[in-house]
Amino acid sequence: MNESMLFLIAFILYILSAFFYFIFLFSKKGSFAKKGYWTIIIALISHTVAMVLRIFESGHAPFTNMYESLSFLSWSAAFAYLFIERKFKIRKAGPYFMVIVIGLMALASSPLMPKEATPLVPALQSYWLWLHVSVTLFGEAFFAIAFVTSIMYLAEKYKEKKGKISPSGLTAEKLDSISYRSVGIGLPIFTLGGLVFGMVWAYKAWGSYWSWDPKEVWSLITWFVFAIYLHTRLVMGWRGKKSAIIAIIGFLAALFTYFGVNYLLSGLHSYT
Amino acid sequence: MKSLIKFFSSVKLAIVLLIIITSASILGTLVPQGRSAAEYAARYGQMSDLMIRIEVTRLYQSWWYIGLLLMFSMNTIVCTLMRLPPKLKKAFQPVLEFEQKKLRSLKIKDQLETNETVEHTKERVKTALFSRRYRIKESTKKSYFFIFAQKKRLGIFGSDVVHLGLLIILAGGIISGMAGFRTTLSIKEGQTLPVPNEDFSLRLDKFETEYYANGSVKDWKSTLTVIDNDKEALSKVVEVNHPLTYKGVVFYQSSYGLHWDNPLVEIHVTDKNDASISEYITLKIGDTAVFSNQRLELHAMSFIPDFVLNERNEVVTRSLEPNNPAVFIKVVKERKEIFSGWLFAKYPDFARMHSQKETGLSFNLANFKAGQYSGIQIARDPGVSLIWAGCIFLMLGFFIAFYWIPSEIRVIIEEQKGRTRIILGGSASKKTESFKQEFEKIIEFIRK
Ligand code: HEM
Repeated sequence: MNESMLFLIAFILYILSAFFYFIFLFSKKGSFAKKGYWTIIIALISHTVAMVLRIFESGHAPFTNMYESLSFLSWSAAFAYLFIERKFKIRKAGPYFMVIVIGLMALASSPLMPKEATPLVPALQSYWLWLHVSVTLFGEAFFAIAFVTSIMYLAEKYKEKKGKISPSGLTAEKLDSISYRSVGIGLPIFTLGGLVFGMVWAYKAWGSYWSWDPKEVWSLITWFVFAIYLHTRLVMGWRGKKSAIIAIIGFLAALFTYFGVNYLLSGLHSYT
Repeated sequence: MKSLIKFFSSVKLAIVLLIIITSASILGTLVPQGRSAAEYAARYGQMSDLMIRIEVTRLYQSWWYIGLLLMFSMNTIVCTLMRLPPKLKKAFQPVLEFEQKKLRSLKIKDQLETNETVEHTKERVKTALFSRRYRIKESTKKSYFFIFAQKKRLGIFGSDVVHLGLLIILAGGIISGMAGFRTTLSIKEGQTLPVPNEDFSLRLDKFETEYYANGSVKDWKSTLTVIDNDKEALSKVVEVNHPLTYKGVVFYQSSYGLHWDNPLVEIHVTDKNDASISEYITLKIGDTAVFSNQRLELHAMSFIPDFVLNERNEVVTRSLEPNNPAVFIKVVKERKEIFSGWLFAKYPDFARMHSQKETGLSFNLANFKAGQYSGIQIARDPGVSLIWAGCIFLMLGFFIAFYWIPSEIRVIIEEQKGRTRIILGGSASKKTESFKQEFEKIIEFIRK
């Protein structure tokens, strides 16, 4: 059993679980949702072992190239989904969310992503790298959940307007509240990893905690969008559609910070 | 003044400012920052003048961006302060005698009746609330008895702690920007340089570069010693991610490079007529070596890493990279110069032709070694401690705001026709679900 084998097993299991969830969605049989849930758990175990093996093989944190960090992001997203499903009983979101996880896994294993564990340049040899990247991605996984539940909210609202009430009990109102709770979990984690740990690491490595590098600015932008989300909601009483749209923009900003900045803009954070 | 306060206490203003700052920040990531005017002209043509004038080319240091941030800070300060007094009152001096009407308007409420006395019921309700870790205030008015119970009441201040953290970070940023100082010293092994703006100096004892097997750089290590008042105050091996701090000044490993002050050259001497002669002579520029059984002297006069002739036919170096290294040597035999000329590492035949004609010997620049300098970044940043303090407040506030959720329960107990009536109502700002369960448990406890 080597790392890529275990990664592949996890990938297949994620697909299988999405499959179960979709059957659940159309047949409304709860037992399939349960199968989907347990399949994710087994997939996560395999995925975890794969990542641990990679750490031992390369001798450093598994966040040094796109393959590694995408793999970790998929792992966090699957984990975040399990957590949210347990807490808020949102099995109906399962199929849609697993599509995101599978998309990330597919991207990670695509030949476009360099897989070799390259030696770390001096700036990356720091335990702050582990903390900064892992905590940030973990927070973003919850933004991904808010993204999915916000889109589902918009769809559900559209149906409700036409007089169709969801039989599953996952109403538009509930979806709205789950998005908010996911942001509530994701935002403090993202703030800690992306902004605070990022500043500490930059200060240790470059002697300046903030350089207005495009990646830094884009994390700040993501953060501002979620601050707008919180305040319009809490103080101005925005709910539903407007909130959902802001949450969607917020996740897209996070996604751009993660991909767009590396490929479209240049700065300190691109090491190649 | 009053209208100014009103203006700055608005959350709508905060949203507008956040949207403007966000859009401006996006613009700043699309336009490359801090390049030369020529580069902008090439990239944007006629637009570039305007762009430089409105400072989108150094946006994050521009007066208007900083102005927006200051307005945003002002907004946060005024808004948070204006809301603080009522929140403090709510947490610490709540109104105890409230109307039944208000109680009944709450979402989570219930009403019970018992045959027990009011005194008994009071104790029972209080015990129920205590068992759930509620903090209790009570009062009596006419025939009514009021209980006001709070739990995690400091939770409402989470947002204030976040905003405070944010302001501290912004203040730290302003101090860093105004009083911070940053520069880079290129320092050679054995060299001592004064630290700018400080009264101590820095000496580089040793500089090493470590490589991975594939040739890429693994680490740079500079052994640095701080010299203060002619004494060695502190010594440390500085690597990337492991800086040295002395009296608030931080020294970082930031770059390295080659210098050509007095490189070591290795010259290979052979004799056309005698194949057994093949000597390698290593010496520094400016030094002299004797060879060939003491009969010849070799002087290494000067070294050029990237040899080129300029338009006036003078020897200059095109760059500091060893692209076309050349050494000028002179060979002396019994006080008489028998050869002088340039040896090129890349074109060994060039010198051989000349030297052989005159001496039968041929000289060749076989190897050379440049000195290395270490680029040490020096930073004095008095804003940093505020930044870390602000971060701590920020995170603490976030966790209070989202995970230390306050809840309150109000109870009115009154005697009504020989029976005792209890009206309860409660609220928890964000955790309605779990609060509902707790509320029901309390009712159950009272009923027993
Ligand atoms: C990016 C900057 C900001 C961040 C990260 C931030 C963060 C927060 C957080 C985490 C909360 C608590 C949310 C909750 O309890 O669910 C909050 C509440 C609030 N914020 Fe901000 N805030 C920011 C800027 C501002 C500004 C500029 C204002 C001024 C108008 C403001 C006004 C408020 C108000 C009025 C509340 C309601 C809090 C209460 O009364 O408990 N915030 N903010």
